[in-house]
Amino acid sequence: MKRALLPLVLVLAAASTAHADGPTIPRFVEDTKSSGLHSVYKGEWQYMVGGGVATFDCNGDGFPDLYIAGGENPAKLYVNTSKKGGPLKFAEAKSGAELKQVTGAYPVDIDGDGIMDLVVLRVGQSKIFRGLGHCKFEDVTAKWNVDGGDAWATAFSATWEKGNRWPTLAFGTYIDRAFENEPWGHCTDNWLLRPNEGQAGFGPRIALKPSYCALSMLFTDWNRSGTPSLRVANDREYYEGGQEQLWKVNPGEAPRLYTADEGWKFQRFWGMGIAAADLTGNGYNAYFTTSMADQRLQFLSDGPQKPSFKDAPFTMGTSAHRPFTGGDQRPSTGWHAQFEDVNNDGLWDLFIAKGNVDKMPDFAQKDPSNLLLQQADGSFVEGAEKAGLINFGEARGAAVADFNLDGKMDVLIVNRHENVRLWRGVSPHLGHWLGLRLNGDGANRDGIGAWIELKEGEKLVRREITVGGGHVSGINSWWHFGLGDQAQAQLRVIWPDGTAGDWQDVKADGFYFLQRGKPPAPFMPR
Amino acid sequence: MKRVFALALLLPMLFVAPASASSLAQEQVLSSWYHLILRLVRHTATYSPPLASRNFAYLGVTSYEAVASGDDHLQSLAGQLHGLKPLPPRQAGKAYDESVVLNAAMAAAMVDFFGNTGPSGQNALRAETAKMSHDVAQGLAPDVVGRSEAYGKALAAQIFTWSKSDGGATIVNMGFPLKYKLTPGPAHWVPTNQQGIQQVPLLPEWQKNRTFALPAAATCDLPPPPEYSEDKSSEFYKQALEVHDVKNSATPEQKAIARFWSDDPMLSPTPPGHWVSIVMQIAEHDHLPAAKTADALARVGVAVADAFIGCWQTKFEYDLVRPVTYIKRVIDPKWETLLITPPFPEYASGHSVQSAAAAAVLSTLLGDHYAFDDATHVQDGIPARHFESFEAAAAEAGISRMYGGIHYRAAIERGLQQGRCIGAYAAALKTVK
Repeated sequence: MKRALLPLVLVLAAASTAHADGPTIPRFVEDTKSSGLHSVYKGEWQYMVGGGVATFDCNGDGFPDLYIAGGENPAKLYVNTSKKGGPLKFAEAKSGAELKQVTGAYPVDIDGDGIMDLVVLRVGQSKIFRGLGHCKFEDVTAKWNVDGGDAWATAFSATWEKGNRWPTLAFGTYIDRAFENEPWGHCTDNWLLRPNEGQAGFGPRIALKPSYCALSMLFTDWNRSGTPSLRVANDREYYEGGQEQLWKVNPGEAPRLYTADEGWKFQRFWGMGIAAADLTGNGYNAYFTTSMADQRLQFLSDGPQKPSFKDAPFTMGTSAHRPFTGGDQRPSTGWHAQFEDVNNDGLWDLFIAKGNVDKMPDFAQKDPSNLLLQQADGSFVEGAEKAGLINFGEARGAAVADFNLDGKMDVLIVNRHENVRLWRGVSPHLGHWLGLRLNGDGANRDGIGAWIELKEGEKLVRREITVGGGHVSGINSWWHFGLGDQAQAQLRVIWPDGTAGDWQDVKADGFYFLQRGKPPAPFMPR
Repeated sequence: MKRVFALALLLPMLFVAPASASSLAQEQVLSSWYHLILRLVRHTATYSPPLASRNFAYLGVTSYEAVASGDDHLQSLAGQLHGLKPLPPRQAGKAYDESVVLNAAMAAAMVDFFGNTGPSGQNALRAETAKMSHDVAQGLAPDVVGRSEAYGKALAAQIFTWSKSDGGATIVNMGFPLKYKLTPGPAHWVPTNQQGIQQVPLLPEWQKNRTFALPAAATCDLPPPPEYSEDKSSEFYKQALEVHDVKNSATPEQKAIARFWSDDPMLSPTPPGHWVSIVMQIAEHDHLPAAKTADALARVGVAVADAFIGCWQTKFEYDLVRPVTYIKRVIDPKWETLLITPPFPEYASGHSVQSAAAAAVLSTLLGDHYAFDDATHVQDGIPARHFESFEAAAAEAGISRMYGGIHYRAAIERGLQQGRCIGAYAAALKTVK
């Protein structure tokens, strides 16, 4: 508790091992043209939001594959054919999930069979596809009694409530499409689906009233209570009487909103994408929400008893409120956000996909996506231009992942109206790293809700394993950690049931499956 | 020039009415467009309160001139508002439909003043234009419709041209300058939040804009605020402590009042839009004739626009520190406001100034004791409030800023005085011949 209240800069300074002369700038080269990716997120008003990508391994080779939303175009699945450390290559494959009207997707192994399933968000009925292996899927929306609604789906998250073998799913939706000519005040309901007890599939929808045009949602254990809550980013452009939300979702109880009396602050902005990371090492996540003009980074401010969050100081360098290059100085528009360590220095960095909503003159039309690199003092500096990662397209969803399993993060961006873009990390001299996956038995195979902790020198780096957040873009793949100069590290898993595993030594620069009660199992990519 | 002006005054007498009038009354035309205007002001990011006030003035003048151009009893505002030249004359002996004229003028003005709105706003604008243009022309001869539309557009075009030279037409970076040097010293404004874009004040040169009816930005300027001091016996400290204590001990009713008049940009029609909303609610509830409503819209628009120019003159003349900054530094480091502190200097209170200005013109036009209910925020879950007079509403708007923790008493009380002074100029405009 007291540590949470320490002055931010002091905590950050103590935790940092980065170079005093600024962060290492990673290097990227664009592989789009040679990648084999040809997917355009197409559509006008009903597709002004959305444009996501699911990143996961659908054929068991360890390499992250892609399922990319196409809007009015069919969604496409691409099998990763890259070689370790080589150029990024993908091949389109027929998956059975080539739907139109897809806004985004999240990979999650719902039935616990060890094969990733796909939650596909759509303008219309959202669907669930069960993974069959070899990147094939079957539509189990009806079979699993999934109420996919008839809405403009724009957000998703999942959690395993205590005692359940199947997850609880949260769907977030946007504007009632019947009111295109006067959409304000016409947000449709978000909803939860809880699993049917003792059998496959889900019960009836539980409306999350009130709903305020969600653009991102994330089940996250903000106070380390062991029970995640549902954070929802809402677009103030369209709601009336709305605000940002945090739902308390206790097992066996109806979900309810945290209130002002409990400490939840009345906040209203253009909430568009959520990212979370323990930036200070105090054990609690900071939450970054993309928006228009200023992006919002917030820290827990009054300890774990109160869901009170306070804006990070402007000097943190995370506001990213206007373009850093390109000559357009109008305010920015942020979408997908993701914390990753892109330079392997042991500090979380932050990628923000940027892009004008649609010819909005008040906001930058030439709006480059950000790559904010964390510095030793905890503040962030822009690194995208020096890194060679410049995107002026109308970005929406994205994925920062190690697509060629070389320990260097790569970046995929979904832009509106044009092909996706793909950059490969090529830095010759980055720090050491680890790629980790949880491998549980039975239900919740991917350990959603667990925390992975790594000792890096004096500090502890934590990562909450979640499904959700970002902007309609989900990743369920190797969880990447940068180690800086450390050639080995100690790690442990705090499993979703709260059980802490033993500290275990691992050598750096490799991939490991982490299983309860067993030593880390190395994985060697082909 | 005088000859043209005189001719313009005579022309309405030479008009002829169309064989049949539009089935859509001017009252309905005004109501429909102002419904959308209040929506788009909320949903267009550039529309900070000062810019909103400016455009309410131009839209109000447009609607008034469209109505007045076809009413022999009404006096044009040309020659009364700074820089507004006589508006185009109608063709002598030709028939016009007044609803079509008004609709065409408003439709054109909407495109001009809401060019920055987003894709949903543009959709709404297109849909409303198509619907209204269709509905208003039903049963009318095509030549009458064509002539009336052309006239309405010409009228709107001239007003838009007039607007371009006032200094407030181009807003960059949502009104926050890319460079600005803060005034040094503890008495002066510093940023009050952690937003990057708001590390400089909003529209620090707004006071240089051309006024509408107010002779000059400084015409109703205020004396200095209480002298800055951190001495506990000083008036400044006492007023800051009052804000601290009042906010901390605010009753549920006081909190409700603070929320009711919060009128945050992007979450409401803004403070000037709140008063335009009051006008439209009264117009619809009390079935005011279009001429009266248009008159009120023009006067309120002019009053609030001049109020923001005059208030900004005072704000940047004294550049006073906000209560949240002073109280945290001197009295209580953990103190927080109830409302969001706006990103510009404290003295005088903008909401007080513009509310008193709007109340001044409405009291003149509709009476000193005109009771009304204000349901501006009902759709946001904030219940309606009843007021016995416009003055009472303005006074409540003013004190709401203390309940919210964002203004000292001097800024409120003197702001109301400044608003009455500024509003008197809009109230004095001649609209009836």
